Amino acid sequence: MSKIQEISTAVETGKSKLVPTLVQEALAEGNKATDILNAMINAMGVVGDKFSAGEIYVPEMLVAARAMQKGVEVLKPLLAGDGSVSLGLCIIGTVAGDLHDIGKNLVAIMIESAGFEVIDLGVDVPADKFIETIKAHPEVKIVACSGLLTTTMPAMQETVRAIRALGLTGFKIMVGGAPITAEFAAEIGADAYTPDAGAAAVKAKELVS
Amino acid sequence: MIIIGEKINGSIPSVGKAIAEKNGDFIRHLAKAQAEAGATYIDVCASVEESIEVDTMRWLINLVQEVTDTPIAVDSPSARACAEALTFCNKPGLVNSVSMEGDKVDVIFPVIADTKWECIALLSDDTGIPRTAEKRLQVFEALMKKAKEYNIDPSRLHIDPLVEMLCTSEDGINTITDVMKTIKAQYPTIHITGGASNISFNLPVRRLVNQSFIVLAMNAGMDSAIVDPLNRDLMGMIFAAEALLGKDEFCMEYIGAYRKGIFGPAK
Repeated sequence: MSKIQEISTAVETGKSKLVPTLVQEALAEGNKATDILNAMINAMGVVGDKFSAGEIYVPEMLVAARAMQKGVEVLKPLLAGDGSVSLGLCIIGTVAGDLHDIGKNLVAIMIESAGFEVIDLGVDVPADKFIETIKAHPEVKIVACSGLLTTTMPAMQETVRAIRALGLTGFKIMVGGAPITAEFAAEIGADAYTPDAGAAAVKAKELVS
Repeated sequence: MIIIGEKINGSIPSVGKAIAEKNGDFIRHLAKAQAEAGATYIDVCASVEESIEVDTMRWLINLVQEVTDTPIAVDSPSARACAEALTFCNKPGLVNSVSMEGDKVDVIFPVIADTKWECIALLSDDTGIPRTAEKRLQVFEALMKKAKEYNIDPSRLHIDPLVEMLCTSEDGINTITDVMKTIKAQYPTIHITGGASNISFNLPVRRLVNQSFIVLAMNAGMDSAIVDPLNRDLMGMIFAAEALLGKDEFCMEYIGAYRKGIFGPAK
């Protein structure tokens, strides 16, 4: 098994103590930091797919993400200033009136692990806050809105409407959460709906490619 | 949780029969199945006449060691039989058991003093099983003095506070859990063990009482138990209780044991 494959396996199985060592060893063998990073991103892709397929549980996805973060910490000094490695910025939050954060956090973790930078606005985020953040970061590529209550679906609709009203086109809007469907997403003018965190990461990559 | 697999015991009729008939395959199978189900130790108890006990232990221990590397708990009411039988083991295991009765401690502790062997110690003495928590703790104190004398670290001891049957108990398991908590507070690295089945004697649907006991005892500090690792519900409950007690980060042990098929639907 090559060192890169070892890293992929260690990320997939959540070996956060092992990953930094393997990354160091891979660098010492002459592997490029970006290649190592991409291997870890692909490994997280596998993890996300397994989660979407119901083959693994939430904590297994979390420990995989944590293992990858440990590897990224080793690579960071080598990647600094190399803008080409990031897929771009994603702004994420749970819409106004809704305090649920578990699903939103999972999506944030998976999108970050897919190679995005993430600004997490937290829960109960008013449309104005999304807009303010988008204006402050015009380079944003993905805006992701989460909602877990049927009663906050109107807030999601209002948020998407307000963001669209800015007239900016440099980013895509993704929505998700238990009561949300692809039909609802289309109806309120979002660009994409995904049913879980693994699928969200895949879709986010697709939308910026 | 330290799981001491209890199935190889001559007092169980089918095992007694296998011992009498020298049915090695039966014993090998029990050893392998318990090891695969996650036993930390395989208990070996001959339950035969004294004159053939040591030879029977040797036969049983060799059979177990043919099929698994899981260490052995050498189980006999006779401290001398334990002391002899542990020499048959390929690696350090667990002595089951000593107490402050007679000279048990003075027979076993010198033998295991400078080894990695661990030891179960029952909180009884020549007067029997003490009724109150205070008296049991006095026995415990006397025991720890002996352990210190022989330089046996608390982390090598599994204290069995001796659970008695629930159906005649006046305070449920409160006396026992008080003893467990006090001991664990004094010696954080010590193990607390016990059989899970005495508690339910003479009650219907005993497994419900046994399983509830394990969970409550774990909450009081029990971290070792003499149980049937092939009991899937019990094993699942033990893993779930560990997670609920905050001893299983991200529930990875629970999920891992499920994936290994230790509990849940049989694969």
